[in-house]
Amino acid sequence: MTALARTESGLGVWFRRRRGLLGVIAALVLFPFVISFVVDGAGIAAVLNNDQGNARFLQGLAIEVFILALYAISYDLILGVTGLLSFGHAMFFAVGAYSFGIALKEFELAWPLALLVVLVAALLQAGLFALVLPRVKGITFALVTLGFASVFWIVIQSSDLADYAGAEIGLQGVRPPVWFLDTTNERFAFYLVTIAILFGVYVAYTRIIDSPVGKVLHATRENEDRALMLGYNTFWFKFLALGIASITAALAGSLYAMHQPIVTPSVAGLGFTVTALLIILIGGVGTISGAIIGAAVFRLLQYYLEKWFGGTSDLLIGIAYIAIVLYLPFGIVGTWRARSLRIKAGRDRLLGVFGGGQETPPPAEE
Amino acid sequence: MSFLELRDINTFIGQFHILEGVNLDVPAGDIVALLGRNGAGKTTTLKTIMGLTPARSGSVVFDGSDITDRRSFDIAAMGIGFVPEHRAIFADLSVEENLRIAEREKGDLEAKEDLIFGLFPDLKRLIRLPGTNLSGGQQQMLAVARALVPDNRLLLIDEPSEGLAPVIIEQMMEAIRQLSSHSTVLLVEQNFIVASRLAQHYVIVEEGTTVQAGAMADLVNDEETIKRYLGAA
Repeated sequence: MTALARTESGLGVWFRRRRGLLGVIAALVLFPFVISFVVDGAGIAAVLNNDQGNARFLQGLAIEVFILALYAISYDLILGVTGLLSFGHAMFFAVGAYSFGIALKEFELAWPLALLVVLVAALLQAGLFALVLPRVKGITFALVTLGFASVFWIVIQSSDLADYAGAEIGLQGVRPPVWFLDTTNERFAFYLVTIAILFGVYVAYTRIIDSPVGKVLHATRENEDRALMLGYNTFWFKFLALGIASITAALAGSLYAMHQPIVTPSVAGLGFTVTALLIILIGGVGTISGAIIGAAVFRLLQYYLEKWFGGTSDLLIGIAYIAIVLYLPFGIVGTWRARSLRIKAGRDRLLGVFGGGQETPPPAEE
Repeated sequence: MSFLELRDINTFIGQFHILEGVNLDVPAGDIVALLGRNGAGKTTTLKTIMGLTPARSGSVVFDGSDITDRRSFDIAAMGIGFVPEHRAIFADLSVEENLRIAEREKGDLEAKEDLIFGLFPDLKRLIRLPGTNLSGGQQQMLAVARALVPDNRLLLIDEPSEGLAPVIIEQMMEAIRQLSSHSTVLLVEQNFIVASRLAQHYVIVEEGTTVQAGAMADLVNDEETIKRYLGAA
């Protein structure tokens, strides 16, 4: 009998392993109907007919969470998994939002073509970031990427491009090119589209991270020299991570351009990069699922504290972040995982005492 | 011609001139101990061979090919494995993932399973645990085991006995002895007793320069040299 892992495969196993995820998706799909019934006192038809009410409003808020989650997941791949500190991540998002909006509005491209434009733009900017990869590391890389994003932020506000990007006001008047991207008239369809994209990306990301390529990304973060001396040209792995993250963030930006009436230049600013950083700190750096939970906590805190407390909400949000960092040092998902590992080890040891289960070997002793 | 040959290696780290003329020869199939005091340049020599701190001048020739200016991942692909000091494992990856990541071709680990778990039975039991949960000795075993996964022809091992309990050192020595039948070894070792029992040859570096080299059997009886360069008898 070999000690090495033999992985089972097959569709049945896939579904069994992802029971929790499928449950979450099912709950999210049912969520507008439940709100419609319970809060609005309306029925299924109200959701499908896009009637005004809490159900429609909360779908809008959820869509914002999903878009933020998509954006934060992409940041987690490069920062949390690969260990690249970029201060220019907002540019990845903004390039998607602006290029999709401009392609649709000014060039009147069909939506698949506009998406292709977004893809090319995303790959180009990943290439731009990768250009400096071999030369700068750590905080220097962060500053260079901040420089790139700042240049982009200035360029989209320039009066020369006002006809396209709308200068400091932002890009407005982008019409949805197809019914399922129409957040105003087909809210539930758009809601389902964002769920599908978010969880599709989530599954893809977890597969990448569990793959041998993902282990090399991980190794690069822990110690790049060690990855190099094992024979990996880490440059290509970092480039790959940047490319995937750039495409994901640009996709989130494209959805944002559909959902918001105006794409303002602030989505290219440093503040929006910090938003991604905050979200993954709340959820747990490097956990991927933490980015989704973090986005939900971030957006809902922001919305409800502002609604209930108005001007003092900024202070309360600050206090909430400090509390999260103090009491959940590895973020919500990260701390949960660490706790459940400890609980499991404790249970195993207890079972070991009574001669039952298999004892987990004690942690490192020096 | 030796299997590995360093000629007049000069390496800088930043502005610091760390290696100022290192010469050494490693014959195929043997264990060579690289000796010297703290800060003499032993680890930098290994890193220079590996391309992690490339030499500014001089040459590194491995099995007939000049690898002085090659990059680390190319050098690794030629069959040189590096076991860095301080238990250089990936703490968040499991034992199996730590081994798996060293595969150069799919199935390398399966092919070496018996060898690796024969040398380090502990690792088999701990296969699912994250590296960080291993004790110091187990982490060192994992670091050595990882270098055994691909077919390496030369292993560079840095301070394998550092900070380990005597009983673990014995096990580590036995492992190095066994793996030397598969691969040539260049060993950096502070513990002279360990080095003298394992290696057939020695090279002493002092302040970045090779000062003496020869057969280990001669050095063992040369108390003056030992006292002068290694500070211990």
